[in-house]
Amino acid sequence: MRRDPVLEVRQLCKSFVLHAVSGRTVVAFDDVSFSVTAGEHVALAGMSGAGKSSLLKSIYRTYRPSSGEVWLQIHAGDYVDMCALSDIEVATIRGHEIGYVSQFLRSEPRRGALDIVIKSARQRGMNEADARDAAATALQRVGIEERLWDVYTSVLSGGEKQRVNLAAGTVHPPRLLLLDEPLSALDPENRERALVLISSLSHRGVAVVSIFHDLEAIQRLATRVLVLERGHLVAERRPDELDERLTAAAR
Amino acid sequence: MSDTFTDRRFDVARLAIPDWLLKVEGLGKVYGPFDDAVINSTGPGPETAKSPLNGSIVAAWDVSFEVAPGEALGIVGESGSGKTTVLRCLAGDVTPSTGAATIRLGGNDLNIFAVDAAERRRLRVDTVSVVYQDPSEGLKMNVTAGGNIAEPLTAAGWRNFAKIRMRACDLLSRTEVPLNRMDDLVRAFSGGMRQRVQIAKALANSPSVVLFDEPTTGLDASVAAGVLDLIRSLLEENRIAAVVVSHDFSVIEMLTSRCLVMHHGRIVESALTDQLLEDPHHSYTQRLVAAARS
Repeated sequence: MRRDPVLEVRQLCKSFVLHAVSGRTVVAFDDVSFSVTAGEHVALAGMSGAGKSSLLKSIYRTYRPSSGEVWLQIHAGDYVDMCALSDIEVATIRGHEIGYVSQFLRSEPRRGALDIVIKSARQRGMNEADARDAAATALQRVGIEERLWDVYTSVLSGGEKQRVNLAAGTVHPPRLLLLDEPLSALDPENRERALVLISSLSHRGVAVVSIFHDLEAIQRLATRVLVLERGHLVAERRPDELDERLTAAAR
Repeated sequence: MSDTFTDRRFDVARLAIPDWLLKVEGLGKVYGPFDDAVINSTGPGPETAKSPLNGSIVAAWDVSFEVAPGEALGIVGESGSGKTTVLRCLAGDVTPSTGAATIRLGGNDLNIFAVDAAERRRLRVDTVSVVYQDPSEGLKMNVTAGGNIAEPLTAAGWRNFAKIRMRACDLLSRTEVPLNRMDDLVRAFSGGMRQRVQIAKALANSPSVVLFDEPTTGLDASVAAGVLDLIRSLLEENRIAAVVVSHDFSVIEMLTSRCLVMHHGRIVESALTDQLLEDPHHSYTQRLVAAARS
């Protein structure tokens, strides 16, 4: 029997209308459909500009898709279409069910790492005391030293910021984890730590959709690879049949 | 593909999203005579708030939104867009030409535009507070910090001097005003400190709704940062329904989760704050975001 998906994207389209250049329409991606079950890790591959990041942002709804459906499983196995919810419902559900880790930490000014991760855990529905414990564990897991926990994140290094981001995205694991180049600034030791963390979340049943620019990460973590080309989903591959060309984009 | 989800659609009512506490419907404010033709001659299309037909100014029109307890809604737009007009109508400083603003208090709905002047003043004392851009609008400059805070407390019926003083101490320490300044005239305070006293006064009777009108505009960057941090922590700690009016996207981004964009007196776009910043749809919002990011 086919397993129920955690995420099912149906005929999703996103284009931007740029009013500054006389209303030019730029298509980010078009008619994308795929689904991800619990514990599955789907990597998106393709050249720069193929629409990978736009797709992740549209699932998280930082971008508002032009058409299509994004069905997300939430508690008790029920589903919501993220494209058919009010703003406040989107904010509540994505905070609760989705972890989004971008390449760069875009946190609020004058916040410490611990506060950022606690806030994320609170949005997932934890109470204050549990959130504090979970946040401390999450920061330890990505190797952020305790002396940095209350320092404003603006003064942290690129790699440290990225790890704070990862801690916030994975604390009290969400049902769906969206990863957009989460390892790009990490040294080998921390990179290894992050790879182990992401892999362990998959084993715990978290559904993952990711973008990595290096083949090794994809081959270690992904169960399937979807290839995007100029905004279209053109192929599905096993991680071991990927060639370098498809991931070369970000280099 | 078969539609596997229709019979398993989650009932979003079970999300326990708090119901609105403030609901604004069809708010309009016009200076001068108006009819449909006058209204239609203004707005983002004609690119003016002043009617070419009769010179009336349509400062705000057809403004509707809801705010839940614990939520901060942003209203962003350049000067003249009508955002402050909306806020002043809600505050009771300006009489709206049309529309309703309902506050839900303990299960009772009250349209604050329809109550008499005495009731309106009472609401300002304990239910709807305002933090103005200019502290001299919200504070009496020749009265001490403690005296300014005592005013809404006595208006709400507090009579015991010691209790009033204790409450003022509590509020001033929450807004990080040194207690040894409590008996100084507000006139002698710095801009940032005045703003902190104004915020303390606004919170005096634990209002349900707090309206912030450009709360940090005009302050030095470092002072503004301190006041912003204070507002952020107050919003996180209290179940207030807040409306934050600002032309500054960094203020809106830091304090609000949802946001309206106003232009020539109309709402041209509303969305989650991160959506407006990353994927603005309306041409005016795109210009505003591009300006903020340059």
